[in-house]
Amino acid sequence: MAHVLLVVAALTASVLGGATGVAFGACGPFTDVTDGFFCPFVLEIFTLGITTGTTPTTYDPASTVSRLQMATFLSRTVDRTLQRGNRRSALAQYWTPKTIVLGLTTVGSFPNNVRSDGGDLWVPSRAGFVARVRGSDGRLVETWTAAPFANDAVVALGRILVNSYSNPGPSNLYMIDPSQAAGAVTTVATDLGLASDGITFDGARVWTANQGASVSIVTPAASPPWTTTTVTAGFISPTGAIFDGSNVWVTDYTAGKLFKLDSSGAILTTVTLGAGPAFPAWDGANLWVPLNGAASVAVVRASNGTVLATLTGNGLTLANSAAFDGERVLVTNYSDNKLSLWKAADLSPIGSVGTGPGTAPAGVCSDGVNFWITYNFSGQLARF
Amino acid sequence: MLARRSLTALAAVGAGAASLLFGTCGPFTDVTADSFCPFVLEIFTLGITTGTSATTYDPTSSVSRLQMATFLSRSVDGVLKRGSRRSVLGQPWTARPESGLGLVTVGLGPNYLQSDGQDVWVSNFSSSTISRVRVSDGKLLETWTGAYGGQGVLVAMWRVFAAGYTNPGSLFRIDPSQPAGAVTTVASTLGGLPFGVAFDGARIWTANSTGSVSIVTPTASIPWTVTTVTTGFNAPWGILFDGSRIWVADHNAGTLLKLDSTGAILQTVTVGEFTTFPVFDGTNIWAPVPVFPLGVAVVRASTGTVLQTLTGNGLNGPSVAAFDGQRVLVTNFDGDSVSLWKAADLSPIGSFSTGAGTRPLGACSDGRGFWVALDFSNQIGQF
Repeated sequence: MAHVLLVVAALTASVLGGATGVAFGACGPFTDVTDGFFCPFVLEIFTLGITTGTTPTTYDPASTVSRLQMATFLSRTVDRTLQRGNRRSALAQYWTPKTIVLGLTTVGSFPNNVRSDGGDLWVPSRAGFVARVRGSDGRLVETWTAAPFANDAVVALGRILVNSYSNPGPSNLYMIDPSQAAGAVTTVATDLGLASDGITFDGARVWTANQGASVSIVTPAASPPWTTTTVTAGFISPTGAIFDGSNVWVTDYTAGKLFKLDSSGAILTTVTLGAGPAFPAWDGANLWVPLNGAASVAVVRASNGTVLATLTGNGLTLANSAAFDGERVLVTNYSDNKLSLWKAADLSPIGSVGTGPGTAPAGVCSDGVNFWITYNFSGQLARF
Repeated sequence: MLARRSLTALAAVGAGAASLLFGTCGPFTDVTADSFCPFVLEIFTLGITTGTSATTYDPTSSVSRLQMATFLSRSVDGVLKRGSRRSVLGQPWTARPESGLGLVTVGLGPNYLQSDGQDVWVSNFSSSTISRVRVSDGKLLETWTGAYGGQGVLVAMWRVFAAGYTNPGSLFRIDPSQPAGAVTTVASTLGGLPFGVAFDGARIWTANSTGSVSIVTPTASIPWTVTTVTTGFNAPWGILFDGSRIWVADHNAGTLLKLDSTGAILQTVTVGEFTTFPVFDGTNIWAPVPVFPLGVAVVRASTGTVLQTLTGNGLNGPSVAAFDGQRVLVTNFDGDSVSLWKAADLSPIGSFSTGAGTRPLGACSDGRGFWVALDFSNQIGQF
């Protein structure tokens, strides 16, 4: 039993009372809101900080709202809602780490990318294995083997699907059943395009962006081998792949372009970006495309392919991979050992953090609470 | 002036529910099936608008600030409710483990607790242990020893920390990826008798009830560097980080103190006598006040303004506040109960018994619901 409680109990028994802290009008601090039906709604947006009133004691209820004012109210509404709705708030983790002193798991040589299943992290390594790390405490719980050149992963169909960066090709697609004891991965396809790099899923099929000038589409089947269709038309060096809920997009590193594809892999839209578009993230409205050769990140509206902004500074150098956690976008800067962070809703920079010499931050994902980053050179997985 | 048609999130409030009579755009006969219709239908489906009548939306009218407040308020509520893990898991209830189900026996005198999202970590003052309980099934997984006088718990930097109520104070560390054993003492020169622990992204802060705040800088080796600040503090108990600043609840002074990065006091907010352990909800700080004025002071973090001091709702010796994304829970140590509010509008949800003689103290959220430490019954429970 803590000493503190006895004090509270004794003092509480001695005094009672009830009071409010500030001068209150007809509706909270507002003297001009007199309609009882509307008062709770006004109080809610005041409590949330969406409105401050027109003065400390007035709300001006009858005035109409200009589009400019509306933008302010909607922006605050989105911000407050996202902030309260994320898991970091519920876990009282309002900080942004300023350093990464702790929070490193050694997973083995050359971890390339990382993906979350919501509980655990899956880390493919080109050294030929896939590590499984528990999200709650960072413990390395399993290592799956027999996965030569394992490169990237997608969590889909209750499985972990991993492509191989095989050069010379062709590349492979491996499958892990996470409910089974760790062992050798199952190879489900051996005919993906040369140097398969990014991987994504559209709800039915697995897509890989192959640096050897192709995109492969793999259709799962009850037993291997799965059927692969590889498309080459229009591609020079596809690198990143992402599905936006409607279409698959791939970056083309050499062409400096972003392609929106139809269901057969044909190019529907071409967005010219800059040097070295790499591994993008999707935030629900926009694609964040790190430009590896231009020390920047292009933000592209998925619905129409417009480049909204090309972000620079904020620690960006050799931008590599991007991830979204519901509020923020994190970008790894591979050679410069830095992470860059933005508020996704307004593209404002939050800051950058060093990962330490010799780390080479490569892949990144979010598990809904933290970002996880692979340190390609030091063989570690970091939590941010 | 803003035409209703061009403001898709806003629509007039008024007449009651629409029937299944469908017009040009859902139930509305006055919204032509153009590019605006999907947006109107969405806010109708979500209950953000009901239309101006069962069959009309009045698309060209402008929106008053009063009407706008309604739409925005409903938007926040609707999105938070749909986005919460409780909704996704089909658990809209507030659990009340009065039957004994939902209670987990931990160590002796469980004081405070914190979740890493999958497990809950509980400091047991009397047995000098820290318990690890799995959220998904309430199984006691591990017991860590050597946490003498364990008080506030913090999950940060992939580790679990607890303040040691000793003089000078201690800071204990657990690496949860390792097998359970003895905790590691990373600092033993904190100010005397610490209660609360917080993290600012780089350093750990403790609120020391003998009149100081300690700032602990993690280093590669032990002991970690400690700076203790005394100026202006009487008896700090609770402590939190709001994303920008550290706030301390000074129990004896009845104040919330906003600190700068060195621990100097930037702002003093009087909340009430013997304030205890507050929580931040993303906008406001909820500070339990167990004596006068008995209640919970809600303070705007950005300005330090006391928005309101909530009373009633079963408050009786309010001690520790927690926030789950939608609701704030306050434990009532004297009343053997917890009190809940909807955080967005400060409206009471109700108070619930924890059982006679249980003495609920610490509280935290696991991202779905709440966990409460029952100090006298050596249990924790889900709410």
